[in-house]
Amino acid sequence: MRVQSDFVLTATGLEKRFGRKLAVAGVDLAVPRGCIYGVLGPNGAGKTTTLRMLLGIIDPDAGERIVLGASRPREVSDRIGYLPEERGLYPSMKAREAIAFMGALRGLDWAEGRRRGVEMLEAAGLGHAAGEKIRALSKGMAQLVQLLGSMVHRPELLVLDEPFSGLDPVNQEKLEQLILAERDRGATILFSTHVMAHAQRLCERIAIIAGGKRRFEGTVDEARALLPMRAHLVPRSGNGDTATFLPPDASPVRDGFDFEVPAEGIEPVLARLIESGHGVAGLSIERPGLHEIFVKLVREGEAAA
Amino acid sequence: MRRFLAQALVIARRDFGAIVLTPTFLIFLLAPLFMLSVATIGSLGAMHVVEDGRERAVVLTGPDELPRLRKAEQRLRGIVGGDPAPPQVSFEARERDAARQARDLLSRDGVSAVLFDGRVLHTERGARDGDYLALLGAAASGTQPAIKALSIARPEGGAHARNATAFGAVFLLFFLSLLLASQAIGMLAEERNNKVIEILAAAVPLEAVFLGKLIGMLGVALLFSAFWGGIAGTAAALHLGGLSFEAIAPATGLASFAVLFLCYFMLCFLLLGAVFLGVGAQAGTMREIQMMSLPVTIFQVSMFALASAGASAPDSTVGVIAAVFPFSSPFAMAGRAATGVPAWQHVVALAWQLLWLGITVTIAARLFRRGVLKSGGGRRA
Repeated sequence: MRVQSDFVLTATGLEKRFGRKLAVAGVDLAVPRGCIYGVLGPNGAGKTTTLRMLLGIIDPDAGERIVLGASRPREVSDRIGYLPEERGLYPSMKAREAIAFMGALRGLDWAEGRRRGVEMLEAAGLGHAAGEKIRALSKGMAQLVQLLGSMVHRPELLVLDEPFSGLDPVNQEKLEQLILAERDRGATILFSTHVMAHAQRLCERIAIIAGGKRRFEGTVDEARALLPMRAHLVPRSGNGDTATFLPPDASPVRDGFDFEVPAEGIEPVLARLIESGHGVAGLSIERPGLHEIFVKLVREGEAAA
Repeated sequence: MRRFLAQALVIARRDFGAIVLTPTFLIFLLAPLFMLSVATIGSLGAMHVVEDGRERAVVLTGPDELPRLRKAEQRLRGIVGGDPAPPQVSFEARERDAARQARDLLSRDGVSAVLFDGRVLHTERGARDGDYLALLGAAASGTQPAIKALSIARPEGGAHARNATAFGAVFLLFFLSLLLASQAIGMLAEERNNKVIEILAAAVPLEAVFLGKLIGMLGVALLFSAFWGGIAGTAAALHLGGLSFEAIAPATGLASFAVLFLCYFMLCFLLLGAVFLGVGAQAGTMREIQMMSLPVTIFQVSMFALASAGASAPDSTVGVIAAVFPFSSPFAMAGRAATGVPAWQHVVALAWQLLWLGITVTIAARLFRRGVLKSGGGRRA
């Protein structure tokens, strides 16, 4: 009987060194079952090495990982799907054969893989390509074929390394739909990216890695709460001393001022402006995006490294 | 283990199909036709070599008569000369029962006629050598010896034929491994160039990838061998092109020898292939693969040289070393299958070679894992 844990994957203190370079310096991760989890980081942050250690392609020098209940991920490789960052397929294989082959590597019967491959290609709008050789497909189509190959055996955990890289917006949208469909099927999706828009749209939880270390772990909202909200205020009448009624970091921008919303809230600022007769013609408050959080954490990480 | 083999077979199936189901395989399959035409020319020269391997005639004599017989032989050889040359004559000490000694000599391989006590015994094929000994006897004693032909039952094949079969087995194994196993050096190039290796490495152990690739290539090699073996076998059965099964005279019998040869062929292929695959896997470019082909071929030739040196004398030091050293062992043991050794030696040798196959594949996979997959891809959007 398989014991269901709340987490499909946990990693503690994962470290990997290549020669003198410490590529991953103690990463901790806990990926809840059934969620879409993003591993974010700049180029060279150690994302790919972390994923490879989690999959058992390489072994960590220190730390431990439990994947689908196994301390040796290779033992459960049939329950995992993987799309590596460096896409690769045999060019002489037909699309349906390539999908079947990838399924067969994970223990799926070859004929069943072929049947599912055709079905999946049709569902993804690539039915016409089932009998085409990979070398005849466009890069984006080949990439989708490879993604389908990583899903054909219906894995419990799907690991995607930079899945959106190299795809045009239409295929990116297709890929997002496929990822959401896999999540709805019950799979857990772990993907790495350095494009924040995808993470913000798809991920329920994220980890930000920089300089080989995890700098943040939590929901996207929790990440965005790390930075204060920013306000853009337009006074009704400015007589030159408006800034004195605003927080000290307020800077003039176009027709108004930008500043961080103070910890006590925006209301005291508004009250001061109204009482002093400056009034308020416009106010917008924006929560910081994942992009700003990412840049901040990465810079801090690089400074610490 | 079952899962490991199943994974290896998935890789093997893909590789086998990818190689065999292409037009280039036809060129590969028919390439030996060119070699055959070269070999036909070479065989004309080889016939002379075969004739040099003639049997000898023996004179049994006591020490008193020896000088007279030697002198007579020298004189006679000078007179007879010609083509074919008179047989090589050796003088051996006469034992008490000379008739029995002569029969024993004739039952051995390599002796065609014996002169003793004014009589000449010769094998059915040694009549000409018998006549020469009769002349020698007459020249030495002044009386014509009585000549008698004997139908001698020799062990199948005889030592000469067995040694020839042993060398042939070693050479054939070398030839096939040179043709087929050395191709393993570039087998991972496709995966590296197409960047498929990470998909394979994530799904199955690298050892299974390596073994699978070897099994796939072995399938191709067996197909190739079966095709040409079938043609050669048919030609031998029909006595076409000078081919005949009679020329193959293994001590173990033809059927057992064929089975053993097949086993050693597969292990030779897998062992050398594993070395080549491991070496080739370290290469990053086709240029590096080409550069590595030379040392790999030298290694292959060294194994052949070691095994062939011990082929005719399996119990010599060289022969034992060749049989024990894992990478020359399949060659040497194929030779031993022809000369005849106890069955347990084959069982031990096959187990030993399988063990080394496992060791070689494991080392090759670990080196590959250490050298490759150590960094992220350089391509970023």
